[in-house]
Amino acid sequence: MNNKDINKQSILARLGGQKFIVLLVVIVLFAFFSIASEDFRKYTTVLSILDYSYYIVLMSIGVTFPLITGGVDLSIGTGLICYSLAGGYLVVHCGWPTWAGMIVSVLFGVAIGFVNGYLIAVKELPPFLATLCTCMITRGLGSICSKSFGISWPTAGTPGSWFRSIFKFSVGGTKYPLGFLWILLIVAAMAFVLNHTKIGRYTIAIGSNKEAAILSGINVKFYHIMAYVISGFFAGLASIAYSAVFATVQPGTGAGFELEAIGGAIIGGVSATGGAGSIGGALIGVFVICLLKTGLPFVGLQANWQQIITGLVLIAAVLVDIIKKRREAK
Amino acid sequence: MGEVILTMNDIDKSFPGVHALDHVHFDVQRGEVHALMGENGAGKSTLMKVLTGIYTKDSGTIEFEGREVEFHNAREAQDAGVVIVHQELNMVGHLTVAQNIFIGREFKKGVKIDDKRMNEEAAKLFKRLNIDIDPTATMSDLTVGKQQMCEIAKAISHEAKVIVFDEPSAALTESEIQELFKIIRDLREQNLGIVYISHRMDEIKVITDRVTVMRDGGYVGTLITKDCTKDDIINMMVGRVIYEEPKTKSMVPEDAPVVLKVEHLNAGKMVQDVSFELRKGEILGFSGLMGAGRTETARAIFGADSKESGDIYVNGKKVTINSPEDAVKAGIGYLSEDRKRFGIVVRKTIAENSTLASLDRFMKGIFIDKKKENEITQKYVDSLATKTPSIDQLVVNLSGGNQQKVVIAKWLVRDCEILIFDEPTRGIDVGAKNEIYKLMNRLAAEGKSIIMISSEMTEILRMSDRIIVMCEGKVTGEIGIEEVSQEKIMTLATRDIQ
Amino acid sequence: MEKIKQNPIVKKIGFNRIVLICVLILMYLLFCLSTGGKFAGLPRILSALNYAYFLGFLSLGVTFVIATGGIDFSIGPVMFCSALISGYCLTSLKVPMVLALLISILVGLCFGIFNGYLVAYWSVPPFIVSMASMNIAKGVASVFTKTQSVSWPQAADGGWFRKLVKIGNFPMGLIILIVAAIICACLLNKTKAGRYILCLGSNREAVRLSGVNTKKWEMLAYVICGILVGIAAIFFVGAYTTVQPGYGDQYNNEAIAGCVMGGTSMAGGLASISGTLIGVLIIALLQEGILALGFTKDYQLIITGVIVIVAVYADVVARRRKN
Repeated sequence: MNNKDINKQSILARLGGQKFIVLLVVIVLFAFFSIASEDFRKYTTVLSILDYSYYIVLMSIGVTFPLITGGVDLSIGTGLICYSLAGGYLVVHCGWPTWAGMIVSVLFGVAIGFVNGYLIAVKELPPFLATLCTCMITRGLGSICSKSFGISWPTAGTPGSWFRSIFKFSVGGTKYPLGFLWILLIVAAMAFVLNHTKIGRYTIAIGSNKEAAILSGINVKFYHIMAYVISGFFAGLASIAYSAVFATVQPGTGAGFELEAIGGAIIGGVSATGGAGSIGGALIGVFVICLLKTGLPFVGLQANWQQIITGLVLIAAVLVDIIKKRREAK
Repeated sequence: MGEVILTMNDIDKSFPGVHALDHVHFDVQRGEVHALMGENGAGKSTLMKVLTGIYTKDSGTIEFEGREVEFHNAREAQDAGVVIVHQELNMVGHLTVAQNIFIGREFKKGVKIDDKRMNEEAAKLFKRLNIDIDPTATMSDLTVGKQQMCEIAKAISHEAKVIVFDEPSAALTESEIQELFKIIRDLREQNLGIVYISHRMDEIKVITDRVTVMRDGGYVGTLITKDCTKDDIINMMVGRVIYEEPKTKSMVPEDAPVVLKVEHLNAGKMVQDVSFELRKGEILGFSGLMGAGRTETARAIFGADSKESGDIYVNGKKVTINSPEDAVKAGIGYLSEDRKRFGIVVRKTIAENSTLASLDRFMKGIFIDKKKENEITQKYVDSLATKTPSIDQLVVNLSGGNQQKVVIAKWLVRDCEILIFDEPTRGIDVGAKNEIYKLMNRLAAEGKSIIMISSEMTEILRMSDRIIVMCEGKVTGEIGIEEVSQEKIMTLATRDIQ
Repeated sequence: MEKIKQNPIVKKIGFNRIVLICVLILMYLLFCLSTGGKFAGLPRILSALNYAYFLGFLSLGVTFVIATGGIDFSIGPVMFCSALISGYCLTSLKVPMVLALLISILVGLCFGIFNGYLVAYWSVPPFIVSMASMNIAKGVASVFTKTQSVSWPQAADGGWFRKLVKIGNFPMGLIILIVAAIICACLLNKTKAGRYILCLGSNREAVRLSGVNTKKWEMLAYVICGILVGIAAIFFVGAYTTVQPGYGDQYNNEAIAGCVMGGTSMAGGLASISGTLIGVLIIALLQEGILALGFTKDYQLIITGVIVIVAVYADVVARRRKN
């Protein structure tokens, strides 16, 4: 039984440890910005950090699955914009009800996710290349869908704008970040999916030892595709969050969102080489990036610095993972 | 022994350039242990992969329980009751033992996987098999032997009617093998058909009822185990091939200088305080169980993996080796056990592979002197008798034995004095194997010094001048060829394992 | 079909390359016909070539990286970063033109070293390094230029570097690109560096265990790529004058497309410089043709995406057949 304790400890150290450290980083960052800037402490700032975080968290949850299989999904950023534009176009210009537009957004995401999964799992294309292509394709499709114009989903107060209060609910002039509640529920649900259902288990198996998974009689192609479908589905959900939070969606944008999502997941402990990861970690990891993004302007750095710092933080997170593995190997 | 449960008739299978199975016949009865024997590359594993649907056969029929069947993948075979315990470990390192055992057929509570029940079932299974493994342990934390036991437990946990053991004992200690035999006898009692693939002649005599021998992809014959002798089986296995005479005494002169001296080498769990000497013109055999740390020792000496401490002397001079680059500079060449992954660059030509380690000698200014490169390569193709239409052939198109010769040529072009051969005949067909043996003897006679790591007992006994045995990362003994026996090696190879 | 493939002349030039050249010619004819001959004029061809120059250098650069089995999709933004920083030095800090051009190459080189060091010495997966340096490049460029676009001087205002691109109507850039391609081809096929880069792309461990310092050579591939990206920046501004911070991503895909179409394998170990060059010309012609037919740039993004998928799939199939 001594053996068992050691194993439990190592798992704790492997997943829980990193999450705990990253959580500390989030707290330290928040404290730092709060002390440095009075404006940062305001409730509205907190609200806007959360607003910014929803779509990234959602993408991050989704992309965790391809990452665990040892792949990646680069199409989620431009995809998000494309799905939002497509759904929005139907709502704004074709008179579709809002809910129908939202469903179109999500289905669009699922479809692109399926295409990615098919190319990677069945046609054996390298994941980064296949999704880089769909990234470009969704970018083009988005512009074509919206005829190269920005799309504004119904704004607050107009009919059909109910979906905005899913994320920010007003009671007597005070706004509540209702979206955060949904995020927590989704994180819990997807953590369950990852750890306690077949989809999650086989996703890990594919990333850890694909050959063994095939020999165990698992329909590896199906579950491999599913990982990308999940990623696409969450990009679709993220597009709803994006439409709800921002006034206008511009075609041609979205490149770079995927970096924040993938960065968040990796900072939160998803192994860049596959096989291990956690949804809760992704949530916390995204907050590191969101805090930097919103916090830096408060301490007098241009928003552009955030891009540089995000890049460096991502490299640092992967390096920590690599150095840790090298140590373990010794 | 009872009725026939499985018959494979006239099975034929070709891969590009290789006739892997040539109209092979094989059958298994209920309640028997049927050995499938043959040298490396004889086609045993291929036959079993055809049976379980991993490969599709070109022609022939498979009859199972009286019906003709064709499995399209491992899952279908499992569902029908044909299960294979693979030679290579097929475990998902990130998952726990129980999760691995029940992968692909998890117990569920609604959509939730019932891990608790899986742990209980796995514990029951281990109890039945008398194995002490914690079902909740992470797979990658277990030793190779324990992982192998999990693999066996996994196979048994299916409602199997036929179980194929593909060299299950390669990683097991003596006591684990005894446990395994107990399990196999139990299964035989339960009227299962068991196929047992192994190289170890002693095991075959102890555990099996019948023996089928294969050679070069063909069926040679089937014998009743208790009615035949070891020599009968060996003759059938070896057939026309006449091997180099086994050594009876060391061929190294008394006064041969020490060319490589390793002192107190440490590198992780698998290499602990390893010291030994290698003399000029010697073939030094390294024996031990799978996972004993022989390959790790070789890689640490060669600088392929980092080491914690230890000194290496080449020709009496202390050398610092932190990378393969340093090792090659010191005159050490390494022939890896996994040729495809670590030995050859498959999609490049013979010439490009042969000069890979010594390109500096082929430079004319900043450009590579292709003419000189071709000349030298041709010289080695001729002297090693590498079978190829031209030196511009991609090595991927060569057979295993010829690929191995290209790797050897690479080190000879470089003029390495010390050669480490890690499983030099793995995956090489029988005829080519003998050529490699001849070549090694020739190299040793020419004054090269060779370390040979091998898991094949016959190979160790046939080739070595002296044998070092390792167990769990430590050197447990050293035996001269004059006094060696299989039993002595096995005792040393399992000495430190409880 | 097999007969044609076995023909000695075809074998010498390479069947794939002949197919590519045919595609190039067919595409040209198709565009000429569908635009009623308007496409045939010199202006269209020069305009397509303008696109081919900078893309050609990007593609040549990324060929080396892909040959190692890696990938670099930070090249587009890094090219923009090079053009922005050197342009800012030229226009706002008034450094001499020669120095500005050197700075451009230097910036590319820095990113090459950064990417190569992380990939080779720290084994960070290339796609992560690419993502990170893509953002860093965009960020650095924006910070440096204070988010302003930069316009390089016209030929009349001391912009003599434009002669590198075009002298009158003479396509000087094409000459330079071809010379660069020849140098790259020699580098890849005839030198030690090229040999090691190709071999390690095919089987890194085998090369390392042959006593080769693989890290050094792998990093070199990224460094070469960085330098070529820096040169690409010069040709970009030579043709298009103005650069805006925050963009450049779309050129990644096109450069990789040129490479892969030309027969460079994504799995590494196999690369063809001449193939890359033809691939780039096809992409450049395609984008010009799409514009000439009156479609927006969006369609080109989609078509290039599909082309890359098809080209890579063809490579996957070819490899599977060989094994």
